[in-house]
Amino acid sequence: MSILEVNNLKKVYTTRFGGNQVEALKNVSFSVEKGEYVAIMGESGSGKTTLLNILAALDKPTGGSVLLDARDFSKIKESEIASFRRDNLGFVFQDFNLLDTFSLMDNIYLPLVLAGVPHREMERRLRPIAEQLGILELLPKYPYEVSGGQKQRAAVARALITNPRLILADEPTGALDSKSTDELLQLFAQINRSGQTILMVTHSLKAACHAGRVLFIKDGEVFHQIYRGGSTKETMYQKISDTLTVLTTGGDRK
Amino acid sequence: MKLGFYARLAWTGMQKNRKTYLPYILTCAGMVMMYYLITFLSKNPNVALIRGGSTLQGILSFGTGVIAVFSLIFLFYTNSFLIRRRKTEFGLYNILGMGKWNLTRILLWESAAICAISLLGGLFFGILFSKLAELLLVNLMGGKASFTFTVEPNAVASCVLLFVGIFALIFLNTLRQIHVSNPIELLHSETVGERPPKANWVVAALGIIILAIAYYIAVTIQDPIAALVFFFVAVVMVIIATYLLFVAGSVVLCRILQKNKSYYYKTRHFISVSSMMYRMKRNGAGLASICILSTMVLVMLSSTVCLFVGTEASLHGRYPRDITIETNTLDEAQTNQVHQAAEDVLKEHHLQPEQFLQYRYLSLSAVLEENKLNFDRGLLDTSSLNNTGQIRQVFVLSLDEYNRLTGSSETLAADEVLLCSTKTDYTGDTVTLQKESPKKIKKIVPKFLQNGTDSTQIFPSLFIIVPNFEQERQAFREWAKTYAEYEISAEFDFYGFDLSGDDSEEIAVRNEISQKIQKLQQENSDFASVRTDSLARNRAEFYGLNGGLLFLGILLGIVFILAAVLIMYYKQISEGYEDRGRFEIMQKVGMTKREIKKSINSQVLTVFFLPLLAAGVHVTFAFPMISKLLLLFGLYNTTLLIAVSVACYLLFALLYVLIYFVTSRAYYDIVSGAK
Repeated sequence: MSILEVNNLKKVYTTRFGGNQVEALKNVSFSVEKGEYVAIMGESGSGKTTLLNILAALDKPTGGSVLLDARDFSKIKESEIASFRRDNLGFVFQDFNLLDTFSLMDNIYLPLVLAGVPHREMERRLRPIAEQLGILELLPKYPYEVSGGQKQRAAVARALITNPRLILADEPTGALDSKSTDELLQLFAQINRSGQTILMVTHSLKAACHAGRVLFIKDGEVFHQIYRGGSTKETMYQKISDTLTVLTTGGDRK
Repeated sequence: MKLGFYARLAWTGMQKNRKTYLPYILTCAGMVMMYYLITFLSKNPNVALIRGGSTLQGILSFGTGVIAVFSLIFLFYTNSFLIRRRKTEFGLYNILGMGKWNLTRILLWESAAICAISLLGGLFFGILFSKLAELLLVNLMGGKASFTFTVEPNAVASCVLLFVGIFALIFLNTLRQIHVSNPIELLHSETVGERPPKANWVVAALGIIILAIAYYIAVTIQDPIAALVFFFVAVVMVIIATYLLFVAGSVVLCRILQKNKSYYYKTRHFISVSSMMYRMKRNGAGLASICILSTMVLVMLSSTVCLFVGTEASLHGRYPRDITIETNTLDEAQTNQVHQAAEDVLKEHHLQPEQFLQYRYLSLSAVLEENKLNFDRGLLDTSSLNNTGQIRQVFVLSLDEYNRLTGSSETLAADEVLLCSTKTDYTGDTVTLQKESPKKIKKIVPKFLQNGTDSTQIFPSLFIIVPNFEQERQAFREWAKTYAEYEISAEFDFYGFDLSGDDSEEIAVRNEISQKIQKLQQENSDFASVRTDSLARNRAEFYGLNGGLLFLGILLGIVFILAAVLIMYYKQISEGYEDRGRFEIMQKVGMTKREIKKSINSQVLTVFFLPLLAAGVHVTFAFPMISKLLLLFGLYNTTLLIAVSVACYLLFALLYVLIYFVTSRAYYDIVSGAK
């Protein structure tokens, strides 16, 4: 059963000066099955961020449709979008997006507080997640007191605590050092194994080779995709690398 | 060529930051204008010509001092805000290869430009409005205005001198800041990670204690002299406490709320409480300043308006009748001669005395200790007295006189007296004069007599009505001997009446009576001293003083409001930039724009109206003290003071709301600029 379906997505921007039309997404279609770990790769300007913004319901497509659990995004009322996003989607951003006025614990609680969950229930949910992510001791600290890797783990906890249908990660390793990157990717794999669906946008080879499937976007279209199948991380790395070479040297679609 | 380059850099820098620079320059110009206006009036020969004008100019030149000091402090404060915003830019220039010397030159141009614009603008509007101010002032004082337009070169010179000096100091201070920091620091100075505010319980508790003490002093103070002394103590304590409470107390309060988990983890409170904590930490000092400025404006305006409105009343307190003659003796031959002189003059003018008032009394100053009045002059030497609150002016009247004046028919036993105390209450059942046996107070009677001496003095008076006047007269004669060197006695004869003529006739009558009495004094070297006064003659002085105070109150009020507006505006702008990032994050984690706007709105409103509310509380507690202080100016009308204070507060609140709407636009522009 596919959890997310993206059909013929199209997005056209009109530039502010001169009114030129820029086609960020031409025709993107793919679907994500429940429990899958999908990475989307592409160079800067390939339309990755546009795609993610549409999937996050932060932006509206010019054409095509997005369905989460067979529910069409365009059918959701404007007033419900925020709560829909809160209940069904978890976000992990490159720059963490933690509020510096809250302790890590309060940052993680934020979506639950917004959803009106009682405090006792919040505490019950936080404990296993914080243990799994290894941030139990850090909870009372403030964002400025902890490292980038720790901040990102808190952000992951915030994404997980609502039990979302889908986690959207936008370059989650982009601001981390290599050790923290490794740790975070291990974590993502672990979360995925426990049944969480993840969609990650990245241009890091290392991050992408952890995924079960990698989609390549070029010039606003899905150019190619690789399934991991039974292959090891090393062969996956090699496959992705080859595809990127083809992509950058300008191969046509096969 | 090179010169032009730095000037251009300075100019574009200011233009890019016009959101912050324009209000700054406007405020500078406003300060210049106010300073010019006050200096102009204090040096204007036309004003000096009005009766009471010299009194007024004295008050105004005191005002110029206040404005000068305030401008210096305030402009320093706002400039530090500007520089904080521009440090990034300077850091960039520095990294791009500009030395500190080059930055200095940019800054020099900038300072010069700001200085020139504000001086020219301020002087232009100052000169433009000076005629208006002059007319207003002359009108307040009841004088006639001339319609010539003048520029006061002296005022212009002192204005230029003062503000060039202030801008030079600000420039040097900025240089110091730029020179001690390195480029990387400059570049990142705006984005230094902020620690969560620590709840400082000790400071918050201290704030509460100091405020409680100040309020206690203000509410419990009884006599006006103590009010005068403690007023400044209380003011300083309230200022300190306000800062402590706004900065530390608010954070402590938020912490307490956070500890209450079932309260804190609610959608409505969660974001508000935690962001309020940061807001208060950053803006606590600014808000406290707004609160104090507001309080000052309110106190100043309500008391000066009250004084001005009550001028006529206090004038009548000081001069109970249009013409008053006080003869410093009870020798009937002499007092009769004085009375005769007055009657003769009235006859010559074909005038009938109205509201005729005549009474005899004894009066001396004394120190009141445990119901005992001590008339020793040594004790009265203020240097040897550590409690001026114990000084009383004692008036002794005979029972017959009292019954005649009040139309009552009291009777007294030999050891009984009636007592009336002004300005403060008399506690005790007996009163003892010097070493006499204690007298029982049969009754405390309300004020029954307007006496000029009582209303000019800050000391409370005791009116003692005795059955045996002649006996006390002998005693007083004895006690007054220590004053022999001044050739005054403790015996007074008051003679006064109203006239229906106009002011000039009234003054003429007074002068003729005075001349006649002088003649008497020349003929008889033992003749007592006589004080002849006319109410009309002193009216101008009174209006000069009270009108001047009101005028100064209005001008200083405008300056303080101007300052408060600028602080508010900068607060809104800096909060806008800080909130913008948070606004974005909250949206990403699933808050609707409406929810965010609602939350921010409630925070901004709370932060904004807190100072107004606190100022209201301050004024309420200051009220007993202010009303006591106004007693010293001869103003006894408490209802008037309440009405004026409430009116001032409402007017001020209206203005405040207006300012809120204007400045919050700037805030929302910045915040919503993000999306």
